Amino acid sequence: MKQKRVAKLSRFSEVQTAWLFMAPGLILLALFTFWPIIYSVPLAFTNYSVIGETKFVGFENFKRAFSDVNFIASVKNSLFYMIIVPFIQIISILMAILVNRKIAGIKFFRAAFYIPVVTSMVAVSIIWGWLMSSNGVLNYILLSIGIINEKISWLSDKDTALWAVMFITLWKGLGYYMMIYLAGLQAVPTDCIEAAKIDGASNFQVIRKITIPLLKPYVFFCTLISLMSAIRVFDEVFVLTSGGPGNATLTSSLYIYEQGFEVFEFGYSSALGLIISFIIMFFSIFIFLFNKKGGVNPY
Amino acid sequence: MKNRKLLKTIQNKVLIYIPLMLFALLMMGPFLWLLSVSLMPGKNIFAFPPAIFPTFIDFKNYVDVWQYMDFLKYIWNTVIITFFGVVFSILLCSLTAYPLAIFKFKGKNIIFVALIATMIIPAAAGLVVNYLTINKLGLINTFTGVVLPGLVTVFNVFLFRQAFMGIPSDIRDSGKMDGASELRIWWQLMMPMIKPAIAVVALFEFMASWNSFLWPIIILNTDKYPLASALSTLNGQFSYNFGWIAAGTVISVLPIIIVFLLTQKYFMEGISGAIKG
Repeated sequence: MKQKRVAKLSRFSEVQTAWLFMAPGLILLALFTFWPIIYSVPLAFTNYSVIGETKFVGFENFKRAFSDVNFIASVKNSLFYMIIVPFIQIISILMAILVNRKIAGIKFFRAAFYIPVVTSMVAVSIIWGWLMSSNGVLNYILLSIGIINEKISWLSDKDTALWAVMFITLWKGLGYYMMIYLAGLQAVPTDCIEAAKIDGASNFQVIRKITIPLLKPYVFFCTLISLMSAIRVFDEVFVLTSGGPGNATLTSSLYIYEQGFEVFEFGYSSALGLIISFIIMFFSIFIFLFNKKGGVNPY
Repeated sequence: MKNRKLLKTIQNKVLIYIPLMLFALLMMGPFLWLLSVSLMPGKNIFAFPPAIFPTFIDFKNYVDVWQYMDFLKYIWNTVIITFFGVVFSILLCSLTAYPLAIFKFKGKNIIFVALIATMIIPAAAGLVVNYLTINKLGLINTFTGVVLPGLVTVFNVFLFRQAFMGIPSDIRDSGKMDGASELRIWWQLMMPMIKPAIAVVALFEFMASWNSFLWPIIILNTDKYPLASALSTLNGQFSYNFGWIAAGTVISVLPIIIVFLLTQKYFMEGISGAIKG
């Protein structure tokens, strides 16, 4: 009986078993994650669209991209969007420090800070779209406490629209990064802090000299993640402004989508995707170099 | 002396609770206001000064929008999409991650690098090709077509891989000694040991599926929309009927907030664990 089982077991070698296990997952990944990347390269060199014959056009799409005002504006907006990255780190570290203590009701506060993370971007966009309209609650509050003198239509004024969308992205994401930093804070050894306090260090000194340095690998991880998502921003601009007014909030992801699904220029859309991928690659290499000894394995 | 100490602790408490409450107001305020708007039928939220607190409470908006939208259908669609999304991504991602964590074989590192490389693709770039693929497979306007592209994500595979790596190798060896097949070792020995990781993936997938709206809009007809997609069309159609949209929005976010609050403990611990690992 036992002999038989062992015989059955050895039907596949370890290598074969490994590939059998991974096959379904890898097939799906290949189909929906790798295939789009691979296929978009040849597509980028064609004029593939819903109408007309597909032809090889060489670097035509790329030439067009660099003289396309909308695309250049969208890249600029996407790069500008990265300004929120340091703000995300500062505010969420602050939040994490605030909730990293055992006091009454702390669970409530942690949950409250995390609720925007779990709700859909559609819901969040609808709420903030109302709050930020010219007759909205935000203007009412800011007027009442005297921060602004006249109503601002935050989302439809080309000077404020991008800032407004960036604020919503920031607001929705803070809780997520707070949780990561909270995990980091709780990994800080308490005896380290106690020793410093016995030596007469103030709370502020403890934070500056012990907590922040120990958080470094987490800052690296969060910076990378938030940078990637800032460049990939899509949902909020799609629902809230669809890139407007003019192209004030047109991000590169949104422009790629529009060229693909509204104008149906698949070839051109693929070329734009490739260009953006190279830009993202550049920034991620930059961050990795900047923080060579990252320390933490993010996954 | 004692009084001064007491005063000091009170002062410290105030210094902590005030910023906590300010942040809580900033994060929860918009949702509370939404709730308030949904309970005020016939109010124009753009009247200035805007209505912030309800002067009376009425569920008319809920009744109306429920009847108009057939919310049960959208909730059912969302439940199906979410259920299959969660179950199959746990199974497939953990199956993929298991050999990557435990086995020794050629090509392991290549797979690994290839997986990491996928992180650089802009959000919208894959959509066009994925649409063409789903179309070729004849899955347009099917729930399978909605779920399939997102089932296996690199993030989840890494998360499971990390969890499997934390299990001592004796366990697999003892399973082998007893003559269990690799599939049985994975399912009966390993999976119960990585419950925290399963919980995290389940919750993240739940969130992602429940809130997905763009991909469903691209490949489904309106009657098969999940909640978030239906909500975005409601918002487009009735942009003047704030009470309805507010009530609809509350209906769509309530289930996920309830699930979050019920599973909060695992959620918070799980995320910390996943990132620490």
